[in-house]
Amino acid sequence: MKVIGKQVRKVDGFELVTGRAKFAGDYQFPGMVYGAVKRAGVPAGRITGIDIEGARNTPGVIDVLTARDIPGPNLIGVLPPYDQPLLAADEIRYAGESVVLIIAETAEIARFAANLVSVSIDPYDPILTVDDALAPDARKIHEGGNITLSKKLLKGKGKAALEKADVVVEGVYETSFQDHAYLEPETVCAVPGRRITLYASCQSPFHIRGHVAANLNVPAASVIVVQAVTGGSFGGKDDVATEIGSLACIAAQRLNRPVLIAHERKESIIGSNLRHAARISSKTGAMNDGRIIAREITVLLDGGAYASESPFVTMKTLIHAAGPYNIENVEVTSTSVFTNKTYCGAFRGFGVPQVTFASESQIDELADKLGMDRLEIRRINGLKAGDSNPTGQVYAQSVGLQETIQVIAAQPAPPAHPDGGRYLYGTGYASVAQGISNGAEGIDVAGASVQMSQDGSVLVGIGLTELGQGSRTVWAQIVAEVLGVAIENVSVRLVDTDAVHDSGPTVASRSTTVGGMAVLKAANEVKKSLISMAALMMQTDEENIELRDGFAILKMDDSARIPVSSVATAAYWTGFPLMNLAFSKAPEANFDDDTHQGDIYIAYNYGTHRMDVQVDAMTGKVKVLNHFAAHDVGRVINPLGLAGQIEGASLIGFGMAHMERINYAGGIIQNANFADYALPSIKDRIPTNSIPVEDHNPTGPFGAKGAGEPPVAAAAAVFANAISDAVQFRFTKLPITREDILNAIQQRGNHG
Amino acid sequence: MLIRFTCNGKAVQLEAQPEARVIDVLRDELGLTGTKEGCGRGECGACTILLDGKPVNSCLLLAGKIADREITTIEGIAGKDGALHPIQEAFLDKGAVQCGFCTPGMILSTKALLDENSAPELAEIEEALSGNLCRCTGYGKIVEGVLEASERLRQGSHHRGDVS
Repeated sequence: MKVIGKQVRKVDGFELVTGRAKFAGDYQFPGMVYGAVKRAGVPAGRITGIDIEGARNTPGVIDVLTARDIPGPNLIGVLPPYDQPLLAADEIRYAGESVVLIIAETAEIARFAANLVSVSIDPYDPILTVDDALAPDARKIHEGGNITLSKKLLKGKGKAALEKADVVVEGVYETSFQDHAYLEPETVCAVPGRRITLYASCQSPFHIRGHVAANLNVPAASVIVVQAVTGGSFGGKDDVATEIGSLACIAAQRLNRPVLIAHERKESIIGSNLRHAARISSKTGAMNDGRIIAREITVLLDGGAYASESPFVTMKTLIHAAGPYNIENVEVTSTSVFTNKTYCGAFRGFGVPQVTFASESQIDELADKLGMDRLEIRRINGLKAGDSNPTGQVYAQSVGLQETIQVIAAQPAPPAHPDGGRYLYGTGYASVAQGISNGAEGIDVAGASVQMSQDGSVLVGIGLTELGQGSRTVWAQIVAEVLGVAIENVSVRLVDTDAVHDSGPTVASRSTTVGGMAVLKAANEVKKSLISMAALMMQTDEENIELRDGFAILKMDDSARIPVSSVATAAYWTGFPLMNLAFSKAPEANFDDDTHQGDIYIAYNYGTHRMDVQVDAMTGKVKVLNHFAAHDVGRVINPLGLAGQIEGASLIGFGMAHMERINYAGGIIQNANFADYALPSIKDRIPTNSIPVEDHNPTGPFGAKGAGEPPVAAAAAVFANAISDAVQFRFTKLPITREDILNAIQQRGNHG
Repeated sequence: MLIRFTCNGKAVQLEAQPEARVIDVLRDELGLTGTKEGCGRGECGACTILLDGKPVNSCLLLAGKIADREITTIEGIAGKDGALHPIQEAFLDKGAVQCGFCTPGMILSTKALLDENSAPELAEIEEALSGNLCRCTGYGKIVEGVLEASERLRQGSHHRGDVS
């Protein structure tokens, strides 16, 4: 391999380090105006009146829109029937809800005027906890009730098998809401026309195009969505980009002027989706030899005011709750619930971090109860090729969990520390499996085009988005490898809904795997054309030709070679196709709706982490001494990009486990800024040492599997286990803050 | 008021409200959109520029304060021939860039550090970049990028010394 597996720079990095990359807020058009919204400010109620006079009369204000000004259904969402209004018409379901859109000559005037809008709301008692939402007499937040989705998984005899266990451990675990906190707040810019163009910081442009078209009441083909360079997303720039994208387009068409809407940081936190808070009740039963025979898990997700991705996150937690283990009997119930809080949706990991924290905490508790080594219990129960996972799916290969456990076991042991000093030391382990592809969430298709120019340079197009994760670089590597050209000669298009094919959403760690397969197929077709042409030119058979180093080369005499540019030029004039549009379709999920037994994902990424921590017993301050993160990625495409994914995802998991918490009071978020919402800074970083394991995946390009999400879950879980080991106290809630640690140490001191 | 200052080595004069934010002056008046706004409160560092060589949050800096002073933005650090600055090169080589939104500020904070201290200790790097948040990388590769840039600049300065 010339390019696959080699460390390469980001193909789109030059623009980023020079400041030339155009993010959505960098677009400027003549006559551009700016939008800002008035938000509800109270978590629940009925709108009784809206006074927009003050805003309308403000100099510089051009237009004021309410729900009645939306031409289409005024609804967005992920799954029909859509439930989330662009601008609230009568019901208020969360405090950050948009009610009125102001368009003004400057963003400052728009914001000033938004503050002059007075929305009269007849308040309801807000429903702020899942228990209140599920109470029998609870007010219904939506017509259909307060449950978004509730599903069950049953394998074998389920919880009934717990009776047969020698040992049962039981616990309840909780996690908090987490904000994506991408550095670029959500921004869109709409340019009117017979066909309207939306430049958007976003994750899934085709999803946005559909909603913009519906809310404008025009055909989808009348809308062009161009993904601007996007400053991070992590699952977060989907619903909200749809909301402000639709609003900007509607205003732009009304006024016939370009409209830019950019969220402030506070709006990014209160007015766009968060990671679900979760409560997970769990029982695990094992035999004295350490074999787990049954798990019973109940997952309750606080989904906030609107459905968003809650149904899919519910499914994901259902499938992942029992962990990467070979267990005969599993029973999981997962339920997502509406509350009067900011809606929750996709966030890197998609429910798996929450359930993995619960699962891996309990595995440690089980090991302790059995008096077993904590890594050994994972080894004994961990999935192997040919085993039946919690949905009963059996993979013949690419189940690299055991190898991740082995490489973690082989890392140098942490130095021994004497007991009784100021510092407490601990080591934690955690294993994870995370499904790759849409799986049970829907059919998974990606379309990609590969096009060679006469000079031998190549243009790749795909409807999946680069969000910083390095996907464009991976696709370029695949093409460079297949066509035998230098990666510098491969460019990947911007995602423009006019120019690339709908490839579904950029989610579920599917870009390298499903997207990469489409790119690979298209590249292989172009390769066929080039080889056919070269065979004609060299008057030999096609099997005698290979593409390498920018040449078509005769295999038996590699001095006989023609530059690929000459082959491409000849092919062009001969009529060989130098462009191909290929689709890759993942094998469809096939499972029982009642038990969720069956084949779900095309592959799983497996991982095992170890973390060594030092805790200052006087201050609660934690120092992470070592963090080893081993993941089975099938095949490494770009080691630099892969390490970046594992390190970055790990720090998000660490933030979730130690620092980050959305604080609500009365349904209002109290810490909607970076001073009060503690995002890890460079001083908080952890020394992640990423260790790839390669267990060839037949469903991915060159054997690769996605890797963007799984480390979040493992890092969060391993932190909890390491701290619990250091403090000798089982923490059951994330985040485990310094204060929590100090409290636990004091409690332990009092009782010890 | 008429404000005169130097921006990326060029003399600039423009009409601005003294209370206008420098980030807006740069982006809207000078078209220098490489300076990014992440929070507007001086908490994230995405809008970092150099003012007389020192890193500052341009979202908190008022236009009146830059009169007769020297500003460097991300657009101003590449070589005259368009070649990337060694910090830019090192950031790309070490994978210190993912989404790129924090990158201009991160690179300028790094430049301010390395201009003062050509061989910083780890703790000094942490201190210098503690005001620049990044959500993508986990920071490890940024630290590697800074160390690599420091190394290259020290080696490069010898070479430049030879020819000048």
